[in-house]
Amino acid sequence: MDYLIEQALNGFSIGAQYSLLALGLAIVFSVMGLVNFAHGEFIGVAGYAMFAMAAMGMTDPWLLVVFAMATVTLVALVLERVAFRPVRNAPPTTGLLTAFGVGIILQNLFLLMVSPRPKAVPELSALNQTVEVAGHNFTILQFLEVGVTSVAIAGLVWFLKGTRIGLAMRAAALDFTTVRLMGMRANRVIATAFAISGLLASIAAIFFIARRGAIDPFMGLLPVLKAFVACVLGGFGSLPGAVVGGLLLGLVEVLLIVLLPDKLAGLRDASVFLIVGVILVFRPQGILGRRVELGDKTA
Amino acid sequence: MNTIAFAERTRGSRPFLDARLAGNLRGSLWLVLIAAAIGLFVMAFGSPFIIRLTATAFINLIAVVGLQIFMGNSNVVNIGHAGFMALGAYFTAIFATPVMIKASMIPNAPFGLAGVEVGALYAFLISVALTSLIGLLTGLVLVRLAGIAATILTISILVIVQGVLVTWTDLFRGAQAFFGIPKVVGLGLIIVATAAVLVVARMFKGSRLGVQLRASATDPLAAEAMGVDVKRLRLIAWVLGSAVVGCAGALYALYAGTINARAFYFHTAFLTLAMAIVGGMRSVTGAMVGVALLTVLLELIRILEGGITVLGIAFPEMLGLSGLMLGVIIVAVMCFRSDGFMGGHEIEEVFAMLRRRLVAGKREG
Repeated sequence: MDYLIEQALNGFSIGAQYSLLALGLAIVFSVMGLVNFAHGEFIGVAGYAMFAMAAMGMTDPWLLVVFAMATVTLVALVLERVAFRPVRNAPPTTGLLTAFGVGIILQNLFLLMVSPRPKAVPELSALNQTVEVAGHNFTILQFLEVGVTSVAIAGLVWFLKGTRIGLAMRAAALDFTTVRLMGMRANRVIATAFAISGLLASIAAIFFIARRGAIDPFMGLLPVLKAFVACVLGGFGSLPGAVVGGLLLGLVEVLLIVLLPDKLAGLRDASVFLIVGVILVFRPQGILGRRVELGDKTA
Repeated sequence: MNTIAFAERTRGSRPFLDARLAGNLRGSLWLVLIAAAIGLFVMAFGSPFIIRLTATAFINLIAVVGLQIFMGNSNVVNIGHAGFMALGAYFTAIFATPVMIKASMIPNAPFGLAGVEVGALYAFLISVALTSLIGLLTGLVLVRLAGIAATILTISILVIVQGVLVTWTDLFRGAQAFFGIPKVVGLGLIIVATAAVLVVARMFKGSRLGVQLRASATDPLAAEAMGVDVKRLRLIAWVLGSAVVGCAGALYALYAGTINARAFYFHTAFLTLAMAIVGGMRSVTGAMVGVALLTVLLELIRILEGGITVLGIAFPEMLGLSGLMLGVIIVAVMCFRSDGFMGGHEIEEVFAMLRRRLVAGKREG
């Protein structure tokens, strides 16, 4: 029973990270129809920003975290301006492939400018301390992950429901042309979507880096694939779907770690993807997605 | 068949070879001629290094053409093809490697496969057949999905194949290299296979099935309304594509003699995908152009990457430069010419356009 509770929290905390990443993907997708394959590289950006600052002698973890979040948000805005604006009105495949090119560029920039080998970022390792709560062993990080993610989601909901630009973003998901006719600037709406997606990704990135204590140029690939899976599971473009999909994925992953013997550890990721494939076969539109028949009006 | 085509046929200027078939054959012939000319030229004059590079490029071309068959015609981004390449290579390795070597490498192989040894040709055929079978099984699932969900499923296939290869050590040797595969394939055979594959892809694209599939990629609703069975067509293209990609893997195994599961993961998937994009994934000629452009370009950048001295200035080693350029090329192509270098045109169409322009120019001048 102890074990079960501990693993359940573990699942939720890993799932929270996936949810944050998946939310960023879903926001950008719903507003401008772009499948941002480069989303995982935001983790790398956060990691290398922290690494660079730490190398220059800034070791205060709080400052590092703030700096990483600011950098990632900025990079997200720059990418939107430089790479994704030219393909804004192109078919989804073009956007997907552009994003995939941007991802390759970022990965190789890390590789070229720092090192192909993993680098240690130990500044946040203090978060892995174990604390005892009601007889169970948890790490501070697990509480932070679940707590901060909840706050971030609450903040996002407030932003989308309570502000004018949030309203515009929700409307843009349905009909961008009308949003522009109402006098909202398309550039501002899309840039905001990217900034939010970068901000959410940077929070997830900090947790990832705190867990691993190290960074490498290709660290973003697997998390972003998982975030995609979370999105597809929940129904692509649906924000609640992204959260549910992410949490479900985290739980499934922890369940597999617990159930699969060490000998089959290599099949963990494979099994996650297999389960997702099976779910999609029976619910192609995802868990919270609405079934769309060909020719349905999407709005 | 629609009425116009029917009327054309009954009018029938050519009773046994209709215009579309003839056009496709002409297109295939051009592709084969160019590929064979380049290949034979290299075989005759190339240094061993250039021959090696060309052989790898042709194997990549087979994979890219396999990718084009599905992705180019159905417009569903596929990232799972590297998995089928791995399957093709490993099945060939398991059947073709001499029993003696297998006794020390995979003595506990299931189904008594450690004691099975067939000729390289049979191993190749078995391997392509098995890969197609797996293509059929995955395809039945894949055609239920559309758009981004389908892409995610292709990624899943890649991750699952990799996971199985690395974990099932008794059969695939896991993360260790599988060696001792008879090296019976040289550049000559690879050229023959490439030519065959180019014809298959070009004929498929121009065939009735290919035309219908491309129509469904442009407008699924209109295609279905015309009675096109989109799922069935996608399945056919997927199985055909995976057979061709498996063929690339099998040839690679028989050419290199040593294979490693890690070589068939995201890196290969992205590289071949980039080749397809740069050339223009909607045409077979585009696949050829993309492979040629990126092979030459990346090889040049690799010289820079190792650190060279130009005019007395020593450039440092720059690992990752080739990857960086690959990304820059993809983004640039997508931003400025999203249809790729060939813009979805085949080579004979480009010739026809040039000829028309030339004739028009003469008339004016």
